[in-house]
Order: sequence, then structure tokens, then C-alpha cells
Amino acid sequence: MGQWFILFKKECMESWRNYKWLWMPSVFLILGLMQPITTYYLPDILATAGELPEGSEISIPIPPAPDVIAATFGQFSQIGILVLVLASMGIVAGERASGTASMILARPVSRFSFISAKWAAMLLLTWLSYLVGYAGSWYYTFLLIGEVEATNAIGAFFVYGLWLTFAVTLTVFFSTILKNAGIVAFLSIGSLLVISALSHTLTKLLAWSPGRLSVHASSIVSTGEGADHFFLALSVSIGIIIVLLILAYYLFKQKELVE
Amino acid sequence: MSLVTVTDLTKHFADNTAVNNVSLSIDKGKCIALLGPNGAGKTTTIKMLAGLLKPTFGTIQFEGSEERDYRNLIGYLPQYPAFYRWMTGKEYLVYAAELSGLPDGEAKEKAEELLKMMGIEEAAKRRISTYSGGMKQRLGLAQAMIHDPKLLILDEPVSALDPVGRYEVLEMIRKLKEKTTILFSTHILHDAEEVSDDIYIIRNGEIVLSGTLQELQEEHQQPVIVIETAEKNEEWLGQLETYAFVANVASTRAEIRIEVNDVDEARNQILKDILSFNIKVKTFKVGYTSLEDLFIKKVTE
Amino acid sequence: MDLNWALIAPVIILEFILMIVALVDVIKSDDTNGPKWLWVLVILFIGFLGPILYFVIGRKR
Ligand SMILES: Nc1ncnc2c1ncn2[C@@H]1O[C@H](COP(=O)(O)OP(=O)(O)O)[C@@H](O)[C@H]1O
Ligand SMILES: [Mg+2]
Repeated sequence: MGQWFILFKKECMESWRNYKWLWMPSVFLILGLMQPITTYYLPDILATAGELPEGSEISIPIPPAPDVIAATFGQFSQIGILVLVLASMGIVAGERASGTASMILARPVSRFSFISAKWAAMLLLTWLSYLVGYAGSWYYTFLLIGEVEATNAIGAFFVYGLWLTFAVTLTVFFSTILKNAGIVAFLSIGSLLVISALSHTLTKLLAWSPGRLSVHASSIVSTGEGADHFFLALSVSIGIIIVLLILAYYLFKQKELVE
Repeated sequence: MSLVTVTDLTKHFADNTAVNNVSLSIDKGKCIALLGPNGAGKTTTIKMLAGLLKPTFGTIQFEGSEERDYRNLIGYLPQYPAFYRWMTGKEYLVYAAELSGLPDGEAKEKAEELLKMMGIEEAAKRRISTYSGGMKQRLGLAQAMIHDPKLLILDEPVSALDPVGRYEVLEMIRKLKEKTTILFSTHILHDAEEVSDDIYIIRNGEIVLSGTLQELQEEHQQPVIVIETAEKNEEWLGQLETYAFVANVASTRAEIRIEVNDVDEARNQILKDILSFNIKVKTFKVGYTSLEDLFIKKVTE
Repeated sequence: MDLNWALIAPVIILEFILMIVALVDVIKSDDTNGPKWLWVLVILFIGFLGPILYFVIGRKR
């Protein structure tokens, strides 16, 4: 068995023992199912809340199906991202702080394998969790609200998944250069929030930003096409992910292992 | 024959020099002790050998290995070994073995063999989080040995253990010594005396003395006169320092230790002094300094 | 309100599983970051984020 795969397998095993394989898909699935459910029952919920004056008609139109999927992306962008950051913040930082990394890296293990195996294992878990949640959302939307064209749904799945990939890569990057997992989480969430907020306001200036991927995904799910500058954002995002990974490796290579 | 030659190894940190021009020659089959007080630079030296810290200057040359990455030739036990708590002892050993390139089946065999050798086979299937300090130290030794390294590097392998654990791990090292070359660090002379062939005494990042255990015992021992008195006489102590035959005077409340160069001359003069200063002597002993004295002198002077 | 329980059941079951697994783990574990009883309360009363919080920061690595 190749050494990289041994490292990768260990990461998966660790996630299993930490219950990550249970709770990460669960979170995404709960989020994915709840969005169509709450959308569907919202009028009823408001009615029973009884805030409205006697005799007034409630008319809250149930949104079209693609909008429900887009709203699911909104959920994933908040609690989903939070969960991803929390799950990956200690992935390298924890091992450096505790000293487990020195015992592994005193063996003939390349630092690139060490980091990239962790990154890949985290992404596997991320994509699986996301797939489960997305499929759940799509199915419930179909049952309760209406159909979404399959090609659109699948296209949007991959585009939004790239934003999650970016979020995980950024967290792994911070985890590689810092030893305190709390600070890693703080910086990751902070920069993801800033990137996202800026990309939604400065749409022209930041047309290339990975923060626009969720906008493109929402557009694809309803129209089948990305918003303006879709391919620019797509290719720059992939580029940034690769650069972050290489930069993480390069900085990690310079690092001396002291606990 | 030298297995590893370390030349002028130096490590500067931002605000201090932890290791300064350290040269070591590690002979094949020998057990070498790096002996020094806390903060002497033992861990820093060892981490450079293990490739975890980059030397500021100096070279580490492995015999017959021109390639720069000699990590598979060494087995490393850090001062504070840290394991994956969620793994079992056996899983950790198999993982370590596989990373060092042992094929699957061989890794398992080797893991079982070492668990047995270290006396922790009954804990093999337990999570490491449940292990005691002594068991972790044994597991640490096992992982360092698992790929049959040419050189075992152990950083304070017994310092954190209680007397029983310490004795057992020292016995283990004595056993391992038969099979492989060992470099270990300690701040306790007794540990070095117990198992090592060669000793390097390190202090403030520099090697202050080195040699085989025997050489150190023979060459550096000095005649010493130890006098136990009822009370301390400061005036006489002052006088003693002035004699040419006196190398060093150390005194506690009841005991004076006088290291001397010429025993006969010293004895005569001191006996005279005892009468003239009217010293109330309880015991008077002429002997030789021990390795302990040498060590204390070297690390405090 | 006319709820379709067949649709909502999976969500409830999922949350329930998370809660049970977290509870069993907290009770079995010999050490947690912070007092055990606090984690039991967190798991039981903070909705589905309670168990997650426990898994992420409550368990000793
Ligand atoms: N990462 C570091 N940064 C700065 N100084 C360090 C670092 N590691 C060790 N030192 C300093 O180097 C000296 C030697 O430390 P160390 O090698 O750990 O000694 P020993 O293992 O002999 O107790 C000490 O003064 C220590 O404070
Ligand atoms: Mg040390």
C-alpha cells in the first residue's frame, strides 16, 4: 500500500472514531430536509402564530422549487460552513500542538503527503456530507414543492460544492500555519464571512471571487446557467484552492517541529 | 567505526543559542549518553538529529548514506511522546511500521513481537488513552524500534517515570543495546552510568567533557580530602584557598571537601592546620572524587 | 395544522440518533473538556447543535 494512502486511511479512521462520519452527514441532512419542510409549512406556522388581525387573508406564496434549493445553499453557507470549519480546524494544528506530528514526521514521510492526505480525507467527508444533505433537500423539495430540472440541480451541486471545498482548503491552510485550533477557526470563519459579504456587494470588482460561487449555483439551479463571469469565478476558485494547498505545503516545510 | 558523525552542530533560536558547536561521534553498537542539566540543549540536539529542527550550522553524516534523508535509519522517542489517543497500541505500531515501509503482514508481526518484548501485549487492543505513563513509554520504545533502525535516539527515556518504571525501562535499554546503536539523553548521571559506554556531558549548549565511562572515571578523578567538623571555621577555609596544592574547596555546614593536586603535601599541611586552628575534627578521610563530583563540577562551574 | 409526519420523522430520528450517540459517549468517556454534567445538559437541551458542540469541543482528543 502506498504511503499516501496509509496516511489517508488513518485520517478516515480518525474521523470515524471521532464520529465525524456520523455527525457531519447528519448536520447537512437535517439542514437539507428542514429547508423544504419549513418553506412548505411556513404559511401554516404563521397562521397558527395568530398575529394577524381577524379576517385578514394570509397570502404567502410558496416559492418555486429552485428557490428552495437556493435557500438550502443559504443554510449550508451558515451552519454548514461553521460545521466544516469546526471539523477541520485542528486537522494539522492539533497534531503539531500535541506532538503527534513530530513522531510521524521523524519517519520517512513527506510533508506534502502528510498535509494532502489530511486535506483529501476532509474533502471526502465534506463532499459525502454535502451530497447527502443536497439529495435530501432535492427529494423533499420534489415531494412538497415541485420539480427541479436534474441537469440544473446537478450542475449547481458541483458549483456550490466548490465553495465548500474552498472553505475547507482555507481552514486546512490556517491549520497548517497556526498551532491554536481556536484561532484557526476564528480566522477561517472571519475570512469566509468577509469574502462572502464583499463578493455579494462588490459584484463587479470581485467577479472572480470564490465568494460568488453560491450566486452562480443559485442561478444555475433555476436557469441552468451561471450569472455573469461564471467561468472566471469557477477557474479562479479552482486556482486559489490549488495555490492554497501548495502554499500550505511550502510554509509547513519551513516549519520546525517544536511543541 | 563511526555510524554517525556530527560536526559543529549549532542551533540559534531567535533569542538564544541552544546548541553550540556540538560534535559527536557515535560508534556502531555503542550506547551513548548525552548527559546534562535541564536547558543544556539535549532535546534541541536530538531534534536536529531526528530532522525535526534545522541546524543553523553543522553537519550530520550517516555512514554509507550519502542521501540527505536518513530518517528510515533512525528510531526516535521524543521526551514527551504523543500518540493518537483514539488508536489502540497495536494499531499505532502497525501504522508506524507501515509508514516506515514495512509491508502489511510484516508490520503486524513486528507489532506483536514488540508488544510482547515490551511487556504490554495484554494492552495491545486497548485505546492508548487508557495507558499509564510507563506503558506509553514502552509503546514509545516499541514504535522507535519497529523498523529495525540503525540508530535509536531516545530523549530522556526514563526521566518521567517512577523508580520502578525507571528501573524497568533502563533494563529494556540494556537489552536493546545488544542489538542496535543507542543515543539517549538524561539529566541524571546514575542513568548514564547504568547503561552507557560513552558519555558526552553537555552544558549551555556545549560539550564540556566526553569519553568512555571508564576514561572519565580514571582520568578525571582527583584526590580529595573530606573532613567532618563540629563547627565551621571561616578563617581556616580562607587560608585553605591560598595553598598551591589545593584545587578546589567546597564546604557545607559540617563537611569540607578539599580537592588537591598533591595528596602527601596536602595531608601534612592540613593536619598541621587542624592543630594550629584548633579544629574540632570528627572524621578525616582521604579518597578520590567520584563521577558524581565531576559531573556536578562540570555543570556548575 | 396538518403535518405530514412521515416527512418530518426522518429529521426527528436523525436528531435523536445524534443525541443518543453523544450521550452514550459522554457517559462512557472518562474525561471531557469541562464538566460532564454540563455536556449532558448541552446535548439534551440545545437542539441538534448540542451533540455537535460536544463532538467538536467536548471530547478529549
Ligand atoms: N523553540 C525554542 N525557541 C527558543 N528557545 C528554545 C526553544 N527550544 C529550546 N529553547 C532553549 O534552548 C535551550 C536548550 O533547550 P533544550 O534543548 O530543550 O534543553 P534540554 O533538553 O537539555 O533540557 C533552553 O535554554 C531552551 O529555553
Ligand atoms: Mg529536554
